[in-house]
Amino acid sequence: MYQEVKLELIFLLPIFLPFLTAIFLFLNKKLFNELITNFFTLNSALLSFAIAAYSFIALALDKFKPVNVELFQWISNPDISIGFTLDGLSGIMLILVTGLSFVIQLFSTSYMEKDENHCNYFVYFNFFVFSMLLLVMSSNFLVMFFGWELVGLSSYLLISFWSKKPAAAKAGNKAFVINRVGDFGFLIGLMIILDTFNTFDFYKILQNTSGIAESTITAISLFLMLGAFGKSAQFPLFSWLPDAMEGPTPASALIHAATMVTAGVFMLVRISPLLQHSKIASLLIIIFGLITALLAAFSAINQFDIKKVLAYSTISQLGFMFIAIGAGAYVAAIFHLVTHAFFKALLFLGAGAVIHSMHHEQDIRKMGGLRKKMPITASMMGIGTLAISGIPPLAGFWSKDEILASVFVNGGIYYVFWALALGAAFLTAFYMGRHWLLIFEKDNGFEHSDVKEAPKAMTRPLLLLGIFSIFIGFINTPFFHGLEKVLHVTLENVEVTHLPKGITLVVLAVLSIGAGFTGLIIAFLLFGMELHKRIDLKKFKLESPINLVKDLSSNVLYLNKFGNLFFVSGMKNLSRKVAVVVDGMLIDGSVNFVSTAFNKSSKITSTTQTGLVRNYVVYFGLFLLLLIVLFIATPLVPR
Amino acid sequence: MIEALLFFAPASLIIIGALIVIFAKNPVHNAMGLVMTLVSLAIIYITLNATFVAMVQMLVYAGAVMTLFLFVIMMIGVDKKEQTTESIKGQTFLVSGVFLILISLLAYVAISSDFKWDLWFPPVEFDAEGTPQLIAGVLFTEWIFPFEIISLLLIVATAAAIALAYDTKKRNSNA
Amino acid sequence: MLEVTTDWYLTLAAILFSIGFLGMMIRKNALIMFMCIELMLNAVNLTFISASKHFGQVDGQIFVFFVLVVAAAEVVVGLAIIVSIFRKQSSASVDVLNVSRG
Repeated sequence: MYQEVKLELIFLLPIFLPFLTAIFLFLNKKLFNELITNFFTLNSALLSFAIAAYSFIALALDKFKPVNVELFQWISNPDISIGFTLDGLSGIMLILVTGLSFVIQLFSTSYMEKDENHCNYFVYFNFFVFSMLLLVMSSNFLVMFFGWELVGLSSYLLISFWSKKPAAAKAGNKAFVINRVGDFGFLIGLMIILDTFNTFDFYKILQNTSGIAESTITAISLFLMLGAFGKSAQFPLFSWLPDAMEGPTPASALIHAATMVTAGVFMLVRISPLLQHSKIASLLIIIFGLITALLAAFSAINQFDIKKVLAYSTISQLGFMFIAIGAGAYVAAIFHLVTHAFFKALLFLGAGAVIHSMHHEQDIRKMGGLRKKMPITASMMGIGTLAISGIPPLAGFWSKDEILASVFVNGGIYYVFWALALGAAFLTAFYMGRHWLLIFEKDNGFEHSDVKEAPKAMTRPLLLLGIFSIFIGFINTPFFHGLEKVLHVTLENVEVTHLPKGITLVVLAVLSIGAGFTGLIIAFLLFGMELHKRIDLKKFKLESPINLVKDLSSNVLYLNKFGNLFFVSGMKNLSRKVAVVVDGMLIDGSVNFVSTAFNKSSKITSTTQTGLVRNYVVYFGLFLLLLIVLFIATPLVPR
Repeated sequence: MIEALLFFAPASLIIIGALIVIFAKNPVHNAMGLVMTLVSLAIIYITLNATFVAMVQMLVYAGAVMTLFLFVIMMIGVDKKEQTTESIKGQTFLVSGVFLILISLLAYVAISSDFKWDLWFPPVEFDAEGTPQLIAGVLFTEWIFPFEIISLLLIVATAAAIALAYDTKKRNSNA
Repeated sequence: MLEVTTDWYLTLAAILFSIGFLGMMIRKNALIMFMCIELMLNAVNLTFISASKHFGQVDGQIFVFFVLVVAAAEVVVGLAIIVSIFRKQSSASVDVLNVSRG
């Protein structure tokens, strides 16, 4: 009991510690040099992680009963307050965010060395960690919304960190604006929730979902889904993520791989008791998830920037998580979130190490044969590639296979969805294989004499993340349902889709392993052994289709061009027309019209003042006649 | 019968004189027409029992004012050609318009009351002769204040006339 | 028809007034316009006298007296103005005097 009372206050510490660090560093920006900044921020991150781990263990010992803390009540009717909660779901996110924050900050101390805004970077970083923790530890929609918005803000600050580059500033704007579109959906969803339930508290809402009409639930789910699409870069709100690669690589590793983009997934799992009642919303989620996964995977196969491949890969894997949510497999979605966080962060940090050693060269066509020069980086990134392709026993296999199996088990049209998801898994293996081979294996003959292995502060996080990528999959295998036990209390009202049993499961597993292997083998044939240069493609009439595929892929199916034309240029033209026509002609015109009417009428009236006596006599006569007429018409004195 | 004659004869003379005033080309003819009107008016005043006023009109108006007019006509020497052409645009149109409206108004009033203009107050039978004694009795008792004012007005008018028409150059060159 | 009542005199005054008014509009010589003003004043005098006869009071004649005096004074001043205008420009036409045009 003594532990429980303290737990309530202790688990709040990791939330506010990064915030205090951010403020502390911000106030002393001019005083500190790099060493002191590194000291403070790393220690605060480590402390946060330690406290988070302690809280999680305490929670586990208590069988994952949720711990709620209400700081103060703002309005009583409707019931809106500020509060935090620690349960299985938020506990997992807590240790994930704090742990990754520490590892990536360690990497950043070396990556951002000698940068002139070194201290600012860590201010923004810690502020981001604070906002992400606000989001995941919230016990009601209001605090979650605060976290949601602040995460968008921190992402903007970090993407446009090197603000002197115009591309970085534009990318930051684009991310914020597209996020805003999603937030518009989120806000409307919140309004409907407040109107229906009269409170924002999760537990009160999620316990009482039985009596609400399905149309209301569908409406809420659809609007919140729109918010999730904006934050997690699903179709059609995904184009900000590849552009967000303008920011520093460690920031991309944390935000756009592991934490911010998973906020949408987290939110949807949080409201899963509500979401499960709306078939339409679930169907739409899985359809959009599939479209996103396939589209992003297709675009990734011919990208040339080392980080853009990883960006499209992230979008594609987020699509997988949304597929899982749409199929009702909420545990699988969180599982894939966790495993993806590790190997994607690993891949991004590895890419950061490569960029650093190649003196900020980012085009993979100019790299090649770096394996001998950077062995640790190469092997760690190889582990990441194998993990994301779904090769057992690494982490990605367990989570991806669970998603695919859960989709299959629903039957009917979900067989088609399963086939398409399998295709996306195949493409994943293919482009990741291409990525690794082009960087590390093929020797293009470029001069790489001064490239050497990355410094220890960069390789140590890589090693750590590599080890985790190998072993983290074992937390939720078909033999040991660890994650399910963690999330059991959170999802107790939810109908979670379970895996099929017996021979079906084994066949599905073999098929997904097969897809992964096939992708890697084809990538090896094309980019490792240069098979396409040895076969005469013209003989098989394959040259122009392949060129078409290459072109469409690298330009993301020209979606960006279309969006730019329609939204950006279209809005500019519309606003110009409105400015000219409505403002200039109508409003200004009517005001000017009044004044010119005055002028003209006074000019006309002044022509009667001729200065000639005889004219005035005529006027006099006319009025005299008028008076006579009046006199005749109206008798003054009654007879 | 006699009354009708006493009315119509001076009345026609008045109308003819007025028409001469506005239509004559030679300004002396205009002045003569005006004199004819004024004298006929005096006759009509006598038939209306305003004898003193008639005499004063004959003396002041037809005597002094017209003489003044003739002096100025002789001095200025009006050009006959100027009289006929109309120089203001649209004046003819406006004038004919006003004239027509006036005539139609008068005709309307005349016809709608069947040529019997019904005055609101009936005539009082008391026949007041406008003798000088009667007028003086009222003028110097009830209307004494306006009387003093118009004598002041006459002095002012005289001074104004001298001030306006005074030609300093000619006076100095003569003297 | 044979009875000459007050309204005949009033009609005569009205006709005289309108003739004088028309003359003012038609003629452009300043002197002749003045004479038309005199016609109008005399028409008003006639109205006053006939009203005085109608009501049997002598106040109308007193008023005619005053009108007469004022008309005389006005003629004096007006002619002085016309003379001084004529000295400036050698014609007595009124149409060229449009200084107060606006």
